[in-house]
Amino acid sequence: MNVPVGNLRSVQVLGIDAGGTMTDTFFVDQDGDFVVGKAQSTPQNEALGLIASSEDGLANWGMSLHDALAQLQTGVYSGTAMLNRVVQRKGLKCGLIVNRGMEDFHRMGRAVQSHLGYAYEDRIHLNTHRYDPPLVPRQLTRGVIERTDMMGSEVIPLREASAREAARELIAEDVEGIVISLMHSYKNPVNERRVRDIVIEEVEKSGKKIPVFASADYYPVRKETHRTNTTILEGYAAEPSRQTLSKISNAFKERGTKFDFRVMATHGGTISWKAKELARTIVSGPIGGVIGAKYLGEVLGYKNIACSDIGGTSFDVALITQGEMTIKNDPDMARLVLSLPLVAMDSVGAGAGSFIRLDPYTRAIKLGPDSAGYRVGVCWKESGIETVTISDCHMVLGYLNPDNFLGGAVKLDRQRSVDAIKVQIADKLGLSVEDAAAGIIELLDSDLRDYLRSMISGKGYSPQSFVCFSYGGAGPVHTYGYTEGLGFEDVIVPAWAAGFSAFGCAAADFEYRYDKSLDINMPPDAPEADKVKAAETLQAAWEELTRNVLEEFKLNGYSADQVTLQPGYRMQYRGQLNDLEIESPIATAGTAADWDQLTDAFNATYGRVYAASARSPELGYSVTGAIMRGMVPIPKPRIPKEPEEGETPPDEAKIGTRKFYRKKKWVDAQLYKMESLRPGNRVMGPAIIESDATTFVVPDGFETWLDGHRLFHLKEV
Amino acid sequence: MNVNVNQTSLQGATRGIVRGGETLKEHRDRLMTATKATGHYAGLKKLELRESEPILYNKLFSRLRAGVVDARETAKKIAASPIVEQEGELCFTLYNAAGDSLLTSTGIIIHVGTMGAAIKYMIENEWEANPGVQDKDIFCNNDCLIGNVHPCDIHTIVPIFWEGELIGWVGGVTHVIDTGAVGPGSMATGQVQRFGDGYQITCRKVGANDELFRDWLHESQRMVRTTRYWMLDERTRIAGCHMIRKLVEEVVAEEGIEAYWKFAYEAVEHGRLGLQARIKAMTIPGTYRQVGFVDVPYAHEDVRVPSDFAKLDTIMHAPCEMTIRKDGSWRLDFEGSSRWGWHTYNAHQVSFTSGIWVMMTQTLIPSEMINDGAAYGTEFRLPKGTWMNPDDRRVAFSYSWHFLVSAWTALWRGLSRSYFGRGYLEEVNAGNANTSNWLQGGGFNQYDEIHAVNSFECAANGTGATAVQDGLSHAAAIWNPEGDMGDMEIWELAEPLIYLGRQIKASSGGSGKYRGGCGFESLRMVWNAKDWTMFFMGNGHISSDWGLMGGYPAASGYRFAAHQTGLKELIASGADIPLGGDTDPENPTWDAMLPKAQIKRDKQAITTEEMFSDYDLYLNYMRGGPGFGDPLDREPQAVADDINGGYVLERLAGDVYGVVVKKGAGGLVVVDEAATKAARADIRKARIAKSVPTREWMKGEREKILAKDAGTQVQQMFAASFKLGPKFEREFRAFWDLPESWVLNEEDIGIPTYGSRYSMDISELPDVRTVQFVEE
Repeated sequence: MNVPVGNLRSVQVLGIDAGGTMTDTFFVDQDGDFVVGKAQSTPQNEALGLIASSEDGLANWGMSLHDALAQLQTGVYSGTAMLNRVVQRKGLKCGLIVNRGMEDFHRMGRAVQSHLGYAYEDRIHLNTHRYDPPLVPRQLTRGVIERTDMMGSEVIPLREASAREAARELIAEDVEGIVISLMHSYKNPVNERRVRDIVIEEVEKSGKKIPVFASADYYPVRKETHRTNTTILEGYAAEPSRQTLSKISNAFKERGTKFDFRVMATHGGTISWKAKELARTIVSGPIGGVIGAKYLGEVLGYKNIACSDIGGTSFDVALITQGEMTIKNDPDMARLVLSLPLVAMDSVGAGAGSFIRLDPYTRAIKLGPDSAGYRVGVCWKESGIETVTISDCHMVLGYLNPDNFLGGAVKLDRQRSVDAIKVQIADKLGLSVEDAAAGIIELLDSDLRDYLRSMISGKGYSPQSFVCFSYGGAGPVHTYGYTEGLGFEDVIVPAWAAGFSAFGCAAADFEYRYDKSLDINMPPDAPEADKVKAAETLQAAWEELTRNVLEEFKLNGYSADQVTLQPGYRMQYRGQLNDLEIESPIATAGTAADWDQLTDAFNATYGRVYAASARSPELGYSVTGAIMRGMVPIPKPRIPKEPEEGETPPDEAKIGTRKFYRKKKWVDAQLYKMESLRPGNRVMGPAIIESDATTFVVPDGFETWLDGHRLFHLKEV
Repeated sequence: MNVNVNQTSLQGATRGIVRGGETLKEHRDRLMTATKATGHYAGLKKLELRESEPILYNKLFSRLRAGVVDARETAKKIAASPIVEQEGELCFTLYNAAGDSLLTSTGIIIHVGTMGAAIKYMIENEWEANPGVQDKDIFCNNDCLIGNVHPCDIHTIVPIFWEGELIGWVGGVTHVIDTGAVGPGSMATGQVQRFGDGYQITCRKVGANDELFRDWLHESQRMVRTTRYWMLDERTRIAGCHMIRKLVEEVVAEEGIEAYWKFAYEAVEHGRLGLQARIKAMTIPGTYRQVGFVDVPYAHEDVRVPSDFAKLDTIMHAPCEMTIRKDGSWRLDFEGSSRWGWHTYNAHQVSFTSGIWVMMTQTLIPSEMINDGAAYGTEFRLPKGTWMNPDDRRVAFSYSWHFLVSAWTALWRGLSRSYFGRGYLEEVNAGNANTSNWLQGGGFNQYDEIHAVNSFECAANGTGATAVQDGLSHAAAIWNPEGDMGDMEIWELAEPLIYLGRQIKASSGGSGKYRGGCGFESLRMVWNAKDWTMFFMGNGHISSDWGLMGGYPAASGYRFAAHQTGLKELIASGADIPLGGDTDPENPTWDAMLPKAQIKRDKQAITTEEMFSDYDLYLNYMRGGPGFGDPLDREPQAVADDINGGYVLERLAGDVYGVVVKKGAGGLVVVDEAATKAARADIRKARIAKSVPTREWMKGEREKILAKDAGTQVQQMFAASFKLGPKFEREFRAFWDLPESWVLNEEDIGIPTYGSRYSMDISELPDVRTVQFVEE
């Protein structure tokens, strides 16, 4: 951002976002200044693209790669390689061992996997449903004779010969990994671990090197479809990623770094590439922004944050409440049901590239769900796109600068948008082109606004107690639209909105999280002694998970006393099927009073999330899971802090005017260059603040001011 | 014109609760008169709001619908019942003041119509005067005689007021696991009349000021076996209704009551126009005829019913004539359907018509615009006295789906022929599976509580083949396209039954050029149960789907249960035990493993409560879907793949597909090309040798008809159809050229005819006004 004094700079943090086509790097120095590097991804050897991207970024600072890497304190990797490997079914050849008689369940995908990830119309449209191929084919699945029931009692003892036979057959098939998942092993892992040991013995006997994954060692949580899918991912996709990450880490070490790369994980922390549960790094991208927002919130004192991110294809929303991200426990990803703790992100399939059509039968206006993605819209002639998109509406209304899209890399043609909207939408609805385009933007904004509102009220809050963060390439174009009238405490657009996800990666905690299913059932009138027993059962689980967490940190050279532990639990009213995750108000549990504190915390949350009338304490309580998170402090990017200057923007920030249409009239919007605005400056709408990678729209009736942290605050006036 | 508030004309009259001062009855009467007179819903020839402010109209639609969908997603997490929480057996719908739906969530959307029927019943029977309809009231309904599908679907209905006047209703429904019928489970089989069919509530006011009455709570919670499920289901429904009520209040506050009011009526007409446009685009005008059948095998000793007049085998008959007109309007006529019976498979006219929309949204109108407009866009004729429009108030309904899913499979074939003609080959679907078996039962569970179970694994049946590809296996149910068989570990929490297998059921999908999707089967062993019973519910003797254009129907059902299995000892001794699937039921392997067991293996796929003990076995077999096209046209390699994948039994590959395979590498089979070619040629030759000209074949059949050479159940079915469908009888006589002297009367067959002559409808009860939805 600012011109630095070269020899005083110390580069602290590196964030990496390795996408399918481009690899972004994000370097932060001791003052919080940053540079972004871009290079084409190199899937054959990802390290090459990373080095090139780093060199590109550091060139802005006039630094050599070697000098910068030697100073670097830490680095975080986030990429789509593992996800792509899964989606394209290009993982390793794995074998699967389950209970005999149930060899089909993995490929049956619980039926839900035939319509996961579908839009509403296709979910009900039966003939569109289909299954993706199973991760492990039926021919590489074997059954062992064993059954353990839901209480953990053995119904059919393990017949070891069946395990040995299964192992030998799979080894003979030259599998590259063997996954074991037996019924209720989260509850009683003894038989599953015995099978695991037999398989390991057989692998050793064969002289081959085949990794073995028992579900109880990785994801000991109920729901066999989820648990099995997730454990398979460890063998199928995470192992190759581990090799990739090792290569990257080594390539950087050779060039001077002194640390191990960490990887962004689904639970919103970062973990080492050496971590046992590496499948949880399958997620990438949007989580970074949530972490960035959480970090900014911690530094600046915002407890409740609505994070909103609009890209080309979707609108993603996540909530931070009381400083905590919301975690979903059995999410789906890549059309697989999984048992990973995942930062809850809800997505609407509506972004800047979303197609707009009129339903041929009902003439209803349809936004998305498909989109032009990076191909923008009809306005970009070379894109070949013929169906109008949201971006075409932006063009018509003067929101976007046709000559400065992606810094002028793509030249857009407003007239193409006008013509297309006229024919495809406006004439059919009997509206002018401007009114049709403005109406569509209004419709999209209204959808997004309702979505935000329902997410917040679904958590039992009102927007008045939330700060809304808006980022992503297209986020700031719509910020005013989807926040108008909701009454947020504050609406914030970071000046580095387009690079916010990479910033978030760099700001992520070094955090391991382990989960375990439990079945503690307690009637409403339980005697003290039972409460004590329940507290002790939970405590035992926390201790087991703590060992796992500490072991992971030990791998990275951290001792137990450096780790901050935070226990949690999942609770529901007895007999229910949905639990809530609660951060424990107590560090250890052992007494009846402790138990009551746990149920009080649950009741308070339940009433907020659903309705006070939906509380059912008369049923008693169940603890369904124990959670342990451990964190160690790591260097993070510093949030910039500059002195505030006057309210009037400097003349060099003003770069002209553009016709801008809203509420049925054309006005002249003042244009500003984002990078030239100074802390303390105040901008009244109608105005458009442009930078290479994002556009911030401030219509009439709104004003924004830039604070010393380079955050824009948007207000209705 | 528009549905204006009728203020001026009402000055001086008693003020009703509907916005503007009409009573509910006056309001509905006005709308229905206008609908009848113009052919447009509420007389709306012009959609004022939609045409003048399309953006606002779309905004209202998308905002309200998103809210309704969101309410369902949030509220269902309150429930304890796995069939609500996991299977999504719930639905929320928003209605205008007259009880016509404007939009709905996903889920069991058959209830868009049934809850509307309940609201209309309240309107027509002057609930407004007594017990009164006030802001914050809560009503509950599950009465099958006014339109509900079966007693286990419980409706919660809440009126929506704005500034003291009623502007609409919201309804929420869940499928509860037990409603206190004679037997446990939501779709019990033992009763033959309403009086054992489960607790039934008729639009009762159960709460005021947003709070439930204590007498209601006490009474209702002891009327069912699974009280916890019942309580939490009710909280789920109320929470959802209140979320939607709040949403409507917010929308009205922001967009104005005028806009909302217009929208509430225009949306219905818009839905009607949408259906018409879709029919025009997808189908070919003309008359399509098809038929559905399914078995009711009640003579068997394992069907224990209280009344001897119910103890007979019968067949459900549902001929259907679908007429599509050039303007996109259409008519469905079920003339010739058989009579209602002394069993639990009868259906009310509303559940029959409303349920058809569940199916249509999966194929003809998969759009967000699902509302009562589609119902106004369709003419139905359901003769009074048939099983889909009974004329007696004693009838039972608890598993009306047995007949509904079997009757509707015919509609897929009718529509698919039309799609095929238009070239929409991907949209062709040979039909829906019979959505069974239903594993049900009860007793004391593993937690030592009174319990009932109702597995919903059959939410994942095979689907019908299309004209370009195989049906999907273990995937969906006609009543819910978003199939989910549930995790075994979750069912084991809810049921004292452990899984010994879950396997794709080979050859359960109908054969064809494109094969129907296969179902699957679960082998359950009773475990930690006390005083436990279970029963079977599904088709056994008859395949209720058909196959299309040469495709075969899916396999029908059967039952396998084993008592006194000795499994405890077999497990301890390390002997072979049944695990996985009953792969080839004609060559069973389990029976020999259980030498001392009492095994029930037969086509009796409907039974009543039977006692089970720990270590007893029960096979839950979910049916496949029908096939499309001649199996001899199937790619031979696809048949080999099916054998290797466990989708087709090897022994049927030769017989049905004419594909000869041989063992290849790794135990997999490969196609013997030459032998296949020869086998197919032989089959074709044999077919020609066996075939006779149609007229000749008809002669032989006619002789049989004249001699009444048919089972009593077939004779009874036709006799009942002739009596209720004179046109059907005339056509039957003409087709088979039968003499006047040939008559078929139920009385002459020699089986009980109890109920065939005398009937009495609820409309004959004092002070009852029923609402007519179809032509009879």
